[in-house]
Amino acid sequence: MRYRLLLTGWLISDLIVFISSYALAYFLRVGWILSTDFPFEPYITVVAITSLLWLVVLITTRTFALTRTQGSIRNLAYIIYSSLVGTALFALGYYFLYGLFFSRMLLLYALVISTVAIWIWHLVFARFQRFMLRRDPPVFPTLIVGVTRESRELIEKLNKGSNPLKPVAVLDGRGCKDTEINGVPVRGKLNKLEDVLSEGITHLIQCSDLEQSLNLLSACRQKKITYMLLPSVLGIVERDEKVESLEGQPVTMVGPKENALMWFFK
Amino acid sequence: MHAFILAGGFATRLWPLTEARAKPLLPLAGVPLIEYLVRDIPEDVPVTISTNAIFKEAFEDWAEGFGRSNVEILIEDVKSDDQKLGALGATAQWITDANIDDDVLLLTGDNYCGFSFDAFLATAVPDTTLIAVHDIGNIEKASQFGTVLTENQQPTTHNRQLVTGFEEKPREPKTTLVNTGCSLLPKSTLPILVEYAKSHPDNIGGVFEELLNRKKPITCFSFSESWFDIGSFDAYLEATRELVGGRVIKEEGAVTEQTNCEGSVVIGERSTVQRSKLTDTVVFEDCMIEDCVLSNCVIDKGCTLRGVDLTGKMLREGSKLIRTE
Repeated sequence: MRYRLLLTGWLISDLIVFISSYALAYFLRVGWILSTDFPFEPYITVVAITSLLWLVVLITTRTFALTRTQGSIRNLAYIIYSSLVGTALFALGYYFLYGLFFSRMLLLYALVISTVAIWIWHLVFARFQRFMLRRDPPVFPTLIVGVTRESRELIEKLNKGSNPLKPVAVLDGRGCKDTEINGVPVRGKLNKLEDVLSEGITHLIQCSDLEQSLNLLSACRQKKITYMLLPSVLGIVERDEKVESLEGQPVTMVGPKENALMWFFK
Repeated sequence: MHAFILAGGFATRLWPLTEARAKPLLPLAGVPLIEYLVRDIPEDVPVTISTNAIFKEAFEDWAEGFGRSNVEILIEDVKSDDQKLGALGATAQWITDANIDDDVLLLTGDNYCGFSFDAFLATAVPDTTLIAVHDIGNIEKASQFGTVLTENQQPTTHNRQLVTGFEEKPREPKTTLVNTGCSLLPKSTLPILVEYAKSHPDNIGGVFEELLNRKKPITCFSFSESWFDIGSFDAYLEATRELVGGRVIKEEGAVTEQTNCEGSVVIGERSTVQRSKLTDTVVFEDCMIEDCVLSNCVIDKGCTLRGVDLTGKMLREGSKLIRTE
């Protein structure tokens, strides 16, 4: 419920930021008046209609996904792409409704302002959302399976970055001497899995015990828990893996290191 | 004499087969492991099975179905590994609480012993501890058990030997002769066991070292029949291969259609296997397997598998692996 409320708030606030950006662009271009040559009302009406389409485009880029880091270059690229589509849709919409084209500079203002404003707003809101989602009781309590160098690093990163997935328990197939890792209690071996999962776990991240993948996955499916697997469990530790598709079948791919441009083609 | 079977472990190495089932109740060639032990104990010897609260009902159901009147289920009131009394601690508590003043046949419930208890008990000498030993023939493996030094390091089978030394899980074993979790403790040794358990509640083998330290005589009964300590997935499959041989055991209501079975295969009650290939695989009850290739697998009850190939896997109860195109 907390997550849905926050998400709804985020979507609505995004619409407001988008419309406000276009309003600001109008006033910057036309001046701080309500011009009769280029009336504000039809302008803002088209912006309001366009904002809904723009939001759909932004949603399809999975910018609002839990696993997305708002500050990443990739996310910025998606926001720029959505803003470009938004600007194009606005120009087309205005022409369709009123049969007019207008200042190209205004479009440029709108594009730049909406992109920057949305990105900044996303950075601020994501921070607020993470804080709210991690408050006790956390919305996405996460179980870490396996005590390894990789899992220790992951727990540290999740906690340091206030990730919405909050590690609340660790299990290890072979048992380990640690009683806690970065403040997260080590609850024992996998025989405690059923007990821990019944405590409302929403995500499970497997960091070792490859031989138990099927069973962990099966437990997650039965309890409608999201299952994640660290590539290091498969021996991939160089952070160069990609999930691709071969004739529609997903495959994890690790290719030889080569020219970065080839990334687009291979 | 009174038999006491230790069955309170949580068997974490056999997860997920032991997720909802005590290890001694794991079916081995279609028969619960503990049943091999209990059915061989002389009828007039009362049997107490010590387990924990989680497995209480399962043991009670099994005992009811087994139909021997002098079997008692004793519940160790713990719900997790960290609260356990320890094997020796549980034995000592039972001896104290039940005022046992009799010889005790002490057995670990997760072991399969191929010899007859009649032969074992026939070699007993009054007021002397007797332990069953087996030559596992591998010095590295021996370090995981209690090793037994005797007068003659190559005792003939079913013969009694005097034990000269006992080392619990030694780093560098001097012998491949190991304790098999079956011993007869005369009543005179029980106070020593209770006292030793206070400081070593987990070290069941250590009590034999203590008895030797106190100059109490110990003899051993060596045997060459099969013996398995079902502590791991590999050990469970190895025991299954040994007991099932090259057969296919189909329990009541099990159905196979257009299925090729090789090696040792057990198909549990009401399970159906269609258009599949099974090699050295155990399928528990109520499973549905269709168009699969399974090799060295143990599939727990209620699993549904369709169109998958698996090798060396243990699947937890109720797993569904259905290949979708």
